[in-house]
Amino acid sequence: MSGAQERALPGPARRLLARLEMPLSRAFDGVHNPMHHLGALTIFFFYVALVTGIYLFIFYRTSLEGAWASVEYLTREQWYAGGIMRSLHRYASDAAVITLGLHIVREMIRGRHKGPRWFSWLTGVPLIWIVLWFGISGYWMVWDELAQYVAVSSARLMDWLPIFTDPMSRNFISNEAVSSRLFTLIAFIHLVGLPIIAVLAIWFHLLRVRRPRINPTRKLMLGSLVALLVLSVLMPVYSHAPADLDRVPLSLDIDWFYLAIFPLMSVTSEGMVWLIAGGGTLVLAALPWLPPGRKTPAAEVHLPDCTGCGFCAEDCPYGAIDMVERSDDRNFKLEAKVNPDLCVSCGICTGSCPSSSPFRQRRPLTTGIEMPHFTMEDFRQQIDIAAEKARGAVLVFGCDHGPRIDRVAGPKTHTVSLPCVGMIPPAGIDYAMRSTGYSGVAIAGCEGCDCHHRLGDDFTRQRIERERQPSLRKRVPRERLLTVWMKAGDETRLDRQLTEFGKHLADLPGDEQTSDSRQSGRREEVQ
Amino acid sequence: MKRLARHAGQLAAWALFLVIIAAFAMGPAFSPVPEGSGELKISMAHLAERIEPCRPLTEEERAELPPTRRVTEVCERGRVPTLVRLRLDGELIIDRLVKAAGWQEDGRAYLLEFQPLPAGQYELELALRDTPREEGYDMQHHFNLALEPGDSALLEIGDGDVVLRLPERR
Repeated sequence: MSGAQERALPGPARRLLARLEMPLSRAFDGVHNPMHHLGALTIFFFYVALVTGIYLFIFYRTSLEGAWASVEYLTREQWYAGGIMRSLHRYASDAAVITLGLHIVREMIRGRHKGPRWFSWLTGVPLIWIVLWFGISGYWMVWDELAQYVAVSSARLMDWLPIFTDPMSRNFISNEAVSSRLFTLIAFIHLVGLPIIAVLAIWFHLLRVRRPRINPTRKLMLGSLVALLVLSVLMPVYSHAPADLDRVPLSLDIDWFYLAIFPLMSVTSEGMVWLIAGGGTLVLAALPWLPPGRKTPAAEVHLPDCTGCGFCAEDCPYGAIDMVERSDDRNFKLEAKVNPDLCVSCGICTGSCPSSSPFRQRRPLTTGIEMPHFTMEDFRQQIDIAAEKARGAVLVFGCDHGPRIDRVAGPKTHTVSLPCVGMIPPAGIDYAMRSTGYSGVAIAGCEGCDCHHRLGDDFTRQRIERERQPSLRKRVPRERLLTVWMKAGDETRLDRQLTEFGKHLADLPGDEQTSDSRQSGRREEVQ
Repeated sequence: MKRLARHAGQLAAWALFLVIIAAFAMGPAFSPVPEGSGELKISMAHLAERIEPCRPLTEEERAELPPTRRVTEVCERGRVPTLVRLRLDGELIIDRLVKAAGWQEDGRAYLLEFQPLPAGQYELELALRDTPREEGYDMQHHFNLALEPGDSALLEIGDGDVVLRLPERR
């Protein structure tokens, strides 16, 4: 291999995260594991808040006298619709904070904020502020004691900045100082301004991501909606007493998801809150470059093998490949061109290249597009290295970010770990069985909807099922092919599945295995 | 059995999610002021005197001006910083020299303070200096404050008047 050391393998934190997420994968099935859809769930909760918010606004009165009364009407008189909508609005917003927080932490632990992914990370940082502004402005609208506390506190926070001549807080020093226009302004910010900004920010956030998953699975949408509905019925949201600026609220049932900064301000100071918020934002924004890392090598195009088919450009999860006008004199219209700044070194493009065939006799073996740190020559060598022992053995392709296949390697199991299983060209599976003579091939990749490089598992599955080009040839016996999708750390389960697969292969006609070894488990069986 | 266990697992996951939301969406309760306390807001929007008094223009000066701009007097823009001193039962709780707002320091002097106070009777003594003088005060006021728990009293310092507003008793 040219440079396995250049591949970022999961560290202890990533493996721990995977272990913690495993129970959810067991319960939900990998594809529906909520932890695999945190960003999409956040957007879904935003939709829920948007729809319920529109309903609430129909009844909301943007006036000093009407604000609290209209929300109270929705909560008490119209509890069966407006009340539930209000609770759903609140709880969906709170849920969004949880999923957003987990999304940030998860991506950071998995190291998916570094390298070419910096753009998505950096454009995600303002979304935190937007979500907070959403929540805070929403609380103003109720104009109860909590709204009063939030309004006064946020005005004091703003006053700490040297931008207002007349302190903003003076608008809340007495009941007479507040005018109905405030509610028109806040309603505009909360219902028009922030949603537009949020949609734009989400668009920016996903700009460099091909085929972004904006919606979670239907099962998750339904599950989370039902869960929030249940909570809305069991624990309906209520208002505090109407705001009265001649009084100071003595006890507030605060929403800690959005409003925790205000108690923090009460126990420290406005300056401390700005320091934490501003400093935290700067640190978050700088994380992709802290500490500065070595750039992983980008895919390289070999024009003699590139036919300009465009499969690699179509499959690249980060849009790092463009098809441009041919620069050599071969009789093809286009050629692939890699943008190294966008390439995450996953190798999915190699898997999608029709020239990536180990059957080709050329030495060294080259292909239209490949990774300099794991070339097609490396790939073929890795398969052939155990050729003399291949008969009766299983070749296991693994992913650097999935279960560690070296831990399950037995004497008759040969393992090849790749940057992503999406790098496996379908011809490689065919080659391993027909040319090298492996009894079977197993592919152990990241769990559904959790591919470290986003789409490697999907593309591999589609190529095997002949739904995507280049597809696995029909002649490849599917009964000798096993695909397993699981997390790093799930090696025991992988071992079990490989054992079962070994037994299954031994049962197939034409296989050399004996019935005795079939009884005793995979390793003994295939020896 | 395995299917049942999976459904139970899903149910447990959603339940945990709801418990976390329920635990922090409406509580634990927070008290912005200590128990049995109220607050005193001190708000000032006060126009101090000019650093240099306005002076009438001489006829020669007026003649040099365009006919449409021949004002009778000219005023420098800068205003004196306002010295605010507030004593609560004799203890000095505010002692600030507040600059006039604006780049030219020609606007009002603004001050806003929130002072949490235990409920009780207080004596307030306010002293202001808003002229170029070096010693003494230009305005002095004395108030008696009866604060009940949860009251938010307002001491409002305007251009020429100072008012202590107490909440209406229900």
